[in-house]
Amino acid sequence: MKKNSNDSDSLLVEKVKEGNEGAFNFLMNKYYPRVYASLFSFTKSKEDSEDLAQQTFVKVWQQIQSFRGDSAFFTWVYRIAINLAKNYVASSGYKKQKVNSSIDQLEIDISSNENIESILIHNQSVDDIKDFINTMPESLKTAFTLRESEGKSYEEISIITETPIGTVRSRIFRARESIVDFMKKELINNE
Amino acid sequence: MNDIKEKISALYDGELDHNEIDDLLKIIDKNPNLQEQLSLYGLAGLAVHQDENNIVSIDSGNRENKSIFSNLWFSNGLTAAASILLTLFIINNVDISRMNISEDSTNKIASAINSKEAKDIAERSEEYLIDHILNVINDPNYMNTQETIDLRNVGFRHNVAGGYKYSNGNENFQLRVEKKNLGLKKIRYWKHGKKMIYVVPLSDGRVVTLYGNISVSSARNIAESLTK
Repeated sequence: MKKNSNDSDSLLVEKVKEGNEGAFNFLMNKYYPRVYASLFSFTKSKEDSEDLAQQTFVKVWQQIQSFRGDSAFFTWVYRIAINLAKNYVASSGYKKQKVNSSIDQLEIDISSNENIESILIHNQSVDDIKDFINTMPESLKTAFTLRESEGKSYEEISIITETPIGTVRSRIFRARESIVDFMKKELINNE
Repeated sequence: MNDIKEKISALYDGELDHNEIDDLLKIIDKNPNLQEQLSLYGLAGLAVHQDENNIVSIDSGNRENKSIFSNLWFSNGLTAAASILLTLFIINNVDISRMNISEDSTNKIASAINSKEAKDIAERSEEYLIDHILNVINDPNYMNTQETIDLRNVGFRHNVAGGYKYSNGNENFQLRVEKKNLGLKKIRYWKHGKKMIYVVPLSDGRVVTLYGNISVSSARNIAESLTK
């Protein structure tokens, strides 16, 4: 087991370097929401953010051999996203689009599940999720928060909460499942 | 199915036994629902981090609530006076403090600032700072340096149990010292969630980063104490 969160992706990254597409897909699914949300904060455009997120992960796949592990994997991914967005914002196409957007109505194609990402744009939704987390049983909330907010390893959480590692793993999973269920029922369906 | 999902949750955290990973990846690859589940785990985590992701640079002239990254992106040539000073030092190897206002020096400044090389250097130094801040934010261990510094002279005690944090009453923080210059000539600081990030250039050329609940005056005192 990994001893700290810093290298939590290192094994998967090594697998990606060996050409394991499954490992790449896992990392992409894991980080897509964070990359997308970050890009959206710049572009304020759903379509642009999707395009740039896609380009980001194409580059991650193409350049993975150059990732030396000096920083956390996500930091490296984030840098790629930033550079792509930076180039995009500086491009003439972006500026032209900004001018035209005041007169052209953007066509937004809403499919069944794409609001999954967009719910995070609304602060109210984030507040709702946080409120929900606060209603969770203390044991689940503590384990989840120590993991997600503090970046503690399962072993560290086990020591802090004086709980077996297996129980920590189970609590974090149950917390995630509860939050995901809440998001699906209360937020995504109401969009 | 819950057993599979629990394994996904563990792998998400990098805590799954190595010999279980390959089989799990194959199962996920064949099941779009599990892939969506994984992304939703990412969303759940993002919601928790949402406040922290709303990072605001408060040391530039622009006080709008932009994220730190947008602020840094567009600061090149606008707010990055430190970068331009650094550029001048590198391009012309001149001592800014001795530079008189003259036609010659004005031309030097203009040519230095406008040259592509100068812009590249300024941009690189700013990007280095971005890297640094990204590491502070995203890598929980980045600030957990093994080096212990005695800060009792400025009222802060080292608290090993708290993850290499220093504390004094309500103020507590992590500290990291860079031996290389990040191109800074003044304190840069950002708000990250409820915490502050201070990047302080020291007179001996090093740069100290303080991350936590701490005021700017305390940060300055601590930085000054490091060179005494």
